[in-house]
Amino acid sequence: MVCMGREDRAAIKAVLAGDRDAYGELVVRHSRRLFRLAYRMIGNEADADDVVQESFLRAYLKLATFEARADFGTWLYRITVRCALDKLSARRVNESTLIGEENDPEQDSIQVPDRSPGPERLAMSAELSTLQQRAMSGLTTMERTAFVLRHLEEQSTDEIAAALQIAPNTAKQTVFRAVRKVRMRLEQMKVTV
Amino acid sequence: MSHLSEEELAEQYWGEPNRAVKRHLDACAECAGAYAALTRQLGSVREIEIPERDKGYGEQMWARVSAALPPAPSKHVSRFVLWRGLAYAAGCAVLIAGSFWVGRVWEHRHQLPSPMAKQAPSPAQPRVVVIVLSDHLERSERLLVELKHADADDSELVKPIQDEARRLLAANKVCVENAPKEDEDPRLMRALNELGNVLSRISSDKGHLSAADLEKLKDQVDAEGLLFQVRVLRSKAPGYAWTVDAKTAGGVA
Repeated sequence: MVCMGREDRAAIKAVLAGDRDAYGELVVRHSRRLFRLAYRMIGNEADADDVVQESFLRAYLKLATFEARADFGTWLYRITVRCALDKLSARRVNESTLIGEENDPEQDSIQVPDRSPGPERLAMSAELSTLQQRAMSGLTTMERTAFVLRHLEEQSTDEIAAALQIAPNTAKQTVFRAVRKVRMRLEQMKVTV
Repeated sequence: MSHLSEEELAEQYWGEPNRAVKRHLDACAECAGAYAALTRQLGSVREIEIPERDKGYGEQMWARVSAALPPAPSKHVSRFVLWRGLAYAAGCAVLIAGSFWVGRVWEHRHQLPSPMAKQAPSPAQPRVVVIVLSDHLERSERLLVELKHADADDSELVKPIQDEARRLLAANKVCVENAPKEDEDPRLMRALNELGNVLSRISSDKGHLSAADLEKLKDQVDAEGLLFQVRVLRSKAPGYAWTVDAKTAGGVA
């Protein structure tokens, strides 16, 4: 990682000195990692590729503002999170909210409204066939992102807060809300492992 | 006994160290069961199949990104900036040598010919002349001052002016050809062109300047403020200097 940081800094210095091709080193080095992140957030290959491309473009345009002491990979990671969120907004993913909760005294369970996908969501259903995708289908964009970053990308609460540009406590609560919903969804699907 | 919250269980699952939570899990069967359930559920959503991206993916992505990047600065502009920087650096270095050379030439012009001047240059060594812009402007200024005070009836004074004008004319041509073009330094080019015009008229193919010719020249120099222009440019002259073959430089001494 230390070596990679040094190599990144050398490449950045070359780009800022006018060597555009040096940016290619950074792209090659970080592309696959960013794709994994983008795919986990977006759930769609083509869109994930677009997010990766857009992330590198944004980073290039803002490269002069990058602080040399910081880690380029982390900086790029945060840009990718925001690009993915923009992509999701552009796709107009409906934010799921609990319409209402009803307690059934006989069953002593919490009932949640049926979240059968509408026509738009069905178009994406081919991509949402995995257990994970189904479990997370009831999350808002922010909750899904926070959950992916915490649970799959293993980022800390502070890192999630920085990537989402929210307060650390808000990031924490968003993660826990997502966990609660995912678990409820899994119960609903009667998952047994 | 209070039990652990879902948040505390999740934090424990994600590896946030907490001894109190660990101790409680060891001691409380209910919480241990809840923790086991959480581990199972979150574990079931951990494995996601990510489409494979091979080692060539980075190169493919770079092809996409580079096509969308803004264009790099024009190399032509870069070369100009580099040339200009080199010209300034070369001018500073050549200025000292050039000033010495021009000074030696100026002295020789007002002295009896020395034996060395009669020696023909070796055909194996072509003569080169260094034209230093600031020196050219200085000599031109001197010439214009002499012209201003010249008396057409005094041929002994006018003849040297004409001779010097011929030499300066050749040097002026070199300056015009090599100096930055008009859109880059308009004042310099304008002054050099006007100077060239005056020098050409002073040189005169007729061989001598009549009183009327001299007066017209003085009027022309005054009307164009040429002396003032040359003085201003000389005071701010960039360190341009050019080395040219003596044949190319023509009558430059």
